[in-house]
Amino acid sequence: MRYELFIALRHIIARKRQTILSVAAIGIAVMILMVSQAFMAGFTQELYSKTVDNLPHVVVSPEDGEDHIYLYKNIVDKINNIDGVVASSPYLTGEASFKYKDNTKNAVLKGILPAEEDAVAHTRDDIILGDYDGLTYSDKSIIIGDTFAEDMELELGDNVEVSFPNANPVSLKVVAIYDTGTALDESLTYTSLKTAQDFYDIEDVINGISLRLNDFNRDREIAEIIENNGYNADGWTVNNPEILRTIAIETVSNNITLGFILLIASFGVVSTLNMVVMGKVKEIGILLAMGATKSNIRFIFLIESGILGLSGAVLGTAAGIALALSIGSYPLPEGAYGLEVIPVVVRIGDVLRIITIVFLLNLIAGIYPAQRAASLDPVEAISSR
Amino acid sequence: MQDLHHPIVELQDVKRIYTLGTNRIYALNGVSISIEKGDFVTIMGSSGSGKSTLLNMIGCLDLPTSGKVKVNNVDLSRLDDDGLTAIRRNNIGFIFQQFNLIPTLTAIENVEIPMIFNGASPAKRRKKAIEMLKKADLPLEFAEHKPNEMSGGQQQRVAIARALANEPPILLADEPTGNLDTRTGQNIMKLLKELNSSGTTVIVVTHDPKLEEYSHTTIRIQDGEVVE
Repeated sequence: MRYELFIALRHIIARKRQTILSVAAIGIAVMILMVSQAFMAGFTQELYSKTVDNLPHVVVSPEDGEDHIYLYKNIVDKINNIDGVVASSPYLTGEASFKYKDNTKNAVLKGILPAEEDAVAHTRDDIILGDYDGLTYSDKSIIIGDTFAEDMELELGDNVEVSFPNANPVSLKVVAIYDTGTALDESLTYTSLKTAQDFYDIEDVINGISLRLNDFNRDREIAEIIENNGYNADGWTVNNPEILRTIAIETVSNNITLGFILLIASFGVVSTLNMVVMGKVKEIGILLAMGATKSNIRFIFLIESGILGLSGAVLGTAAGIALALSIGSYPLPEGAYGLEVIPVVVRIGDVLRIITIVFLLNLIAGIYPAQRAASLDPVEAISSR
Repeated sequence: MQDLHHPIVELQDVKRIYTLGTNRIYALNGVSISIEKGDFVTIMGSSGSGKSTLLNMIGCLDLPTSGKVKVNNVDLSRLDDDGLTAIRRNNIGFIFQQFNLIPTLTAIENVEIPMIFNGASPAKRRKKAIEMLKKADLPLEFAEHKPNEMSGGQQQRVAIARALANEPPILLADEPTGNLDTRTGQNIMKLLKELNSSGTTVIVVTHDPKLEEYSHTTIRIQDGEVVE
C-alpha cells in the first residue's frame, strides 16, 4: 500500500462525520442522476415500444403518379428476401363512410392479410373484444377501434353499412374491437384485403406494403435498398420525425439538468476538501518537516477526493438503482397516462458511465484543495494552531 | 568519509528579510556560524531575536534572502523544493515545543512517518520504530496509544523517536522542554545528551538559560545578529 493512501485513509477514517456528510452529498446527487437516467431510459424504451414497435418500420408506396402497386406478390417476395426484413404486409387502404342506425362516420378502411399485418404491427395484441381471426374466417367482417365503436354505438356482432362514391356498398359484421390508446381507435378500421378490393371495385392490387425490421434503426438503409429496386419507400424516421424529435429534446434537457446536479455535487467536494486542508494545516507542516515532498502532499489530498468521489458514486448508484427499481415496481392507478407502472430501465452502461464521470469530476474538483495544501509554507504551517 | 572537525552546519552572512507592507524586517541580519559534527549547541535568545528563523534555516524549512547555508556540505541555495526536502529528510530530525505529533496516528505510526517518506518497507518501519521508541525510553505499552492518551513527557519521547527514525546526523530541537515540567524537562535533556554522546549533532533553540548546562557550545542571538 502506498503511504499516501495510508495517510489519506487515516484522514478519512479520523473525521467520520465529515466523511459521511461529503460522501452523502455526492451520493445523493449521483442517486438523483441514476434515477433520472433510469427514467429517461425507461421513457425512451416505452416510447419506442408504444410507437415505433407498433409502427411499420418501412412503408413501400406506389410509384410516383400511380395510385396502386401492381403485381405486388413479386415485390413482396423480393422484399422478404432483403436481409433485415422480418415481415411484410401488403395492404389496400382508402376512405369509407360508415353507417349504423342513425350514426354515420367517415374513417379509413384498411384491407389487410391478417397474419401478415399482425407480424408487422402486432395488431392482434390490441384486440380487447372478439376474435382477430374473424377477418380470416369470414369475408364480410370488420375490426374497429373502441372509440369508433362507442361513437357509432356498435357492438360485437353488429353489422355496419359501408359505402363510398364509386364503391360497392357492403354490410360488414364487427368481429373484433381493438384499443391502441391512440387517435387511430377512432379513425382506422380493418377488413380483409379481398373485401377491400371488392369494395373499391378493383382487381388484385394494393396501395402500400408495410415492413417490420429486426433492427428499427436500419429503416433508412432498408428503405434505400427498396428505392434502388425502383419503388418508393420511407422509414419510420421520415414518416414520423416527431418521435425522434421528442426523444432528442427529452435527452438534451435531461442531460443539462444532470450536468448541473453533478456540478453542484463536485463543488461540495471542493468545499469539503478545502475545509479539510484548512483543518490540517499544522499536520501538513509536520509532514513537510518529516520529509514529505509537495507532490506527496498533493497526492494525499487527491487520493482523498478520489476515495470520497468513488464511494459517493458507488453508494449513490446503488441507492439510485434501488430507488428507481422500487419506483418502477409501484403500480400506477389504473388509467393514469395509459401506463401500468412508471417505465424504468437500468442499463449497466449507464451505471459504469456515471461512476466513471463522477470519479473523474471529483478528482478534478480535488486539484484546487490539493494544490493549496501542497503550496503551504512549512514554517507557517507548523507554527499555526 | 567526513573528518570529525568538519562543520556539519555552516552559515555565511545569512540575511532573512521579511517585508511587511513597506517595512523591511531583518529577522536575521548577517549571521555567520559554524557547527561541528558531534557538537551539542544551544542557540539562546529572547523571543523575536531571530532564533526560530535561524532554526528554520538550519532545518531546511526556509531559505535565506541572501548569504549561504550549507548542511552536511550541501549548499541549500542551489536546491529546488524537492531537493530541499531530500536534504531535510536525510539530515534533520525535528523536535518541537508542541511535540507536533499527528493526533490521528498512534505513537508507533507517528514514528513510522519519516521512514514512510524515505520509502522503507512496512516490516522494516515497524521494527525500526520499536527500536527508536526504546531508544527514546518510551514504555512500549504506549506504542499503540494515540497522542492524547499520553503525558507531555511521553509525547515528547515519541517525537524524539520520530526525529531519530531516519537516523539523521542532526537533531534540531525547538524549546524541547517548554511544555514540560522541570523534572520531565531534565529527563528529556538527559536523553538528548545521551544521543549526542553516541554521535548525533544536537542543536537546541531556547530562551531558557538552564538548558545551557547540557551543551558544549552556546550561540547567543539578539536582534538578528550573533552576539557571542
